[in-house]
Amino acid sequence: MKDRLCIMIVDDESIVRESFKRWFEKSGHRVLTAASGAEALRRLEAEPIDLLFVDIKMPGMSGLELLDRVSADFPDASVVIITAYGSIDTAVNAMKKGASDYLLKPFKPDQLDLVLEKISQQRRLSRQFNYLKGHLEQITRFDNIIGRSEAMQEVFALIPEVAASSAPVLLTGETGTGKELIAKAIHATSDRAPCPFVPINCGALPESLLESELFGHVKGAFTGAERSSKGFLEIVDGGTLFLDEVGEISPRMQVDLLRVLQEHQVVRLGSRHPVDVDFRLISATSRQLDPRRVEQGVREDFFYRINVIHIDIPPLRRRKEDIPLLVDHFLKKLAHHTSKRVDRLTNAALMQLTAYDWPGNVREVENAVERAVVLAKSRTLDNGDFAFLQPSGIPSDGRTSLKEVERRYICQVLADCNQNVTRAAEVLGINRTTLHKKINRYGIQRSEGTKGDGGRNDRGRGSGR
Amino acid sequence: VGVVPAGSDLLSAAKVVAGHVTGFLQLACQVLPEIAGPTFALDRQRHQYNAGRIIDFYDQCGCSGPAKVIYLVNLDLFEPVFTHVFGESRMGGRVALVSVHRLMPTEPAQPPHWGLERVAKVALHELGHLFALTHCDDTGCLMHFAGDSGVLDTIPLLFCRYCRQSLEEALIRYCRLPRSRV
Repeated sequence: MKDRLCIMIVDDESIVRESFKRWFEKSGHRVLTAASGAEALRRLEAEPIDLLFVDIKMPGMSGLELLDRVSADFPDASVVIITAYGSIDTAVNAMKKGASDYLLKPFKPDQLDLVLEKISQQRRLSRQFNYLKGHLEQITRFDNIIGRSEAMQEVFALIPEVAASSAPVLLTGETGTGKELIAKAIHATSDRAPCPFVPINCGALPESLLESELFGHVKGAFTGAERSSKGFLEIVDGGTLFLDEVGEISPRMQVDLLRVLQEHQVVRLGSRHPVDVDFRLISATSRQLDPRRVEQGVREDFFYRINVIHIDIPPLRRRKEDIPLLVDHFLKKLAHHTSKRVDRLTNAALMQLTAYDWPGNVREVENAVERAVVLAKSRTLDNGDFAFLQPSGIPSDGRTSLKEVERRYICQVLADCNQNVTRAAEVLGINRTTLHKKINRYGIQRSEGTKGDGGRNDRGRGSGR
Repeated sequence: VGVVPAGSDLLSAAKVVAGHVTGFLQLACQVLPEIAGPTFALDRQRHQYNAGRIIDFYDQCGCSGPAKVIYLVNLDLFEPVFTHVFGESRMGGRVALVSVHRLMPTEPAQPPHWGLERVAKVALHELGHLFALTHCDDTGCLMHFAGDSGVLDTIPLLFCRYCRQSLEEALIRYCRLPRSRV
C-alpha cells in the first residue's frame, strides 16, 4: 500500500498551488501550500512535512535557496524541484544540493505518480533502515550508552578491559545513571555474551523470595514448593548475573552468596547436593556502601568479594555536556516508538535542560523528553514544553532570591559531599555549627541515618538504567 | 446523475456514459440537452482548455437539477502543471468534466467502441471522486490513476471491493439509499 504523505507545494502562483493540491488530495495525501520560501520554512517549523514540491523561480528566496535551508535544517523532508525553465545545469545543481527529483512544467500526470512512488519507496527504505539500526544498537555492544564527556569516556574505556576477565564488578552511581546498561555492555563485550544476562533487583524482592529465586528449591522445601525449580544462579550458567541494589541483600544471604562465589557451587533450598555453577557477578548500588558502618548491614568479606573491580558512574549534573546528546537520542528513540513527530529543540529549551540538575539522571531526561513530546503542540520543543522541570516555588522568570540560591547551593554541596557536614562546611568556607544552623533554618532534609560526618546521599532505590 | 454533451457529436458518448452509470452504480442517470462547448477556457499560449476554469464555471452557472453532473467535451483539457488531463473533478464536488479528445482511437485498426469504453471508464472514475473516493493502489480498479490511454486500456470496468464499499457508504450518505444497493 502506498504511503499517505504530508506534502507542501511551494510556488508563488496560486493557480499552480491549487492544481497540485487538488491532484494530491485525490490520491489521499495531506496537502499544505506556501506562496514563498519564508512561509514554507515557517510551516516546516510548526509541523513535519514529508515532501516539498518547490518552484525554482520565486520572488525573494529562490527554490534552490529553500532547498539549501531544508537540507540543512529539515533533512527528513524530501524536496522535488519544479520549473518551467528547464536546463541540464539547473537540474544537476538541484540534484547536487540534495533534491530528490526534478520536474519540468508542464509534465505528464503519470510522471508525477512515478516521482511520488519513487519517493515513497525511498522513505519506506529509510524508515526500515532507521528502525533496524535502532534495534541493532539496542542488542549489540554499548553503542546505546550515550556520553562524550571525559568521565563517561573513562567508563567506556574500562568496559572492554573489565569484560576480558571474570572478576566481580561493583557499579556505583546514583539512580538513573545507567548502571544496568553498563552491566549489559560488559556482558555483551565478554566471552559470556552468547549465554544469559540475568538481572535481579534485590531491593524489589522480599528476602525469602529472593533466596528461592537465586538458589532454587527442591519439591517440598517449603509450603507451596510443589515441584523442584532451578534458581537464577543455575539458570545463568555461563552468563552474567546482575544484582541491582546489592546493598539490600540481608547479611545472612550475603554469607550464602559469598560461599557460592568462592566455591562455584550452589545448593538448592531443601537439598544437600551442590550443583556446579559458572557465572560472572556484576553488582550495582546507588548507595555509598561501607562495611565499616554497621547500620548498612554490609558484611566486610562480602563487600570485598563483590568489589574486585569498581566502576563509578558519574551523575548527569557532573557531565552536563552529555545532556544535548541524550536529549537528541531520546527524541530519535521516541520517533521510532510513537506516531507523533517531534524532532527538534530550540536553543532556549536546550539551555534550560542543561541548567537543570537532573536528580533522576538519564532516566529523568528520558521521562522529561517523553512527557514534552507527548504534550507538544508543534514539532519543535521550546522551553515552555519543559516548564514542569522548574522546582516548585521558584519563579520561572529566572529571578531567584538570595536565600533560595543559598539553600540550593548548600543542598548541592551536601549532595556532592555525600551529606558529610564537615566536608561540606570546608567546601563552603564556614564552620560546622554555622552550617548546621543554616540546614535547620532552611529545613534542608537529609536522608535518614546520614546525618553526621559519614553520611550518604541516598536518592532512592530505582534500578540502574 | 446528469450527463451533458457540451459540444457537437457527443450524444452517443453521453448515452454510453449514462448507461454505464446506471448499470454499474444503479443510479438514475439521464442525458441532458446538448449545450455549446466551453471555448471560453482556451489558453492561447498552450492551445488547450483549462479544465479547472471550466469546472468552476459549470459549478456556478451550469444546470441545477441533478445531484451530480458529468459534462462531456471534445476539447484538449489541461491543468496548469500537467500536459493534459482526460477528465477533471473536485473531491466531493458536484461537477465532473470528461474529454473524449485524447480517448478516441487514432489508428484505423482500433475499433471505435474502444474509445467509448475509455470515456465510460474516465467518467466512472471522476464520478468516484465526486463521491469523495481517492485514487486506488489496485491496478485492477477503476479508481486507479491512469495517465495515458495505454494504462487506461489495462484497467477493467470494475471497482475493487474496497472502493465499492467506500462508494456504497458514500451513496448511502448522499442519497440515503439502503445498504447493498451498489
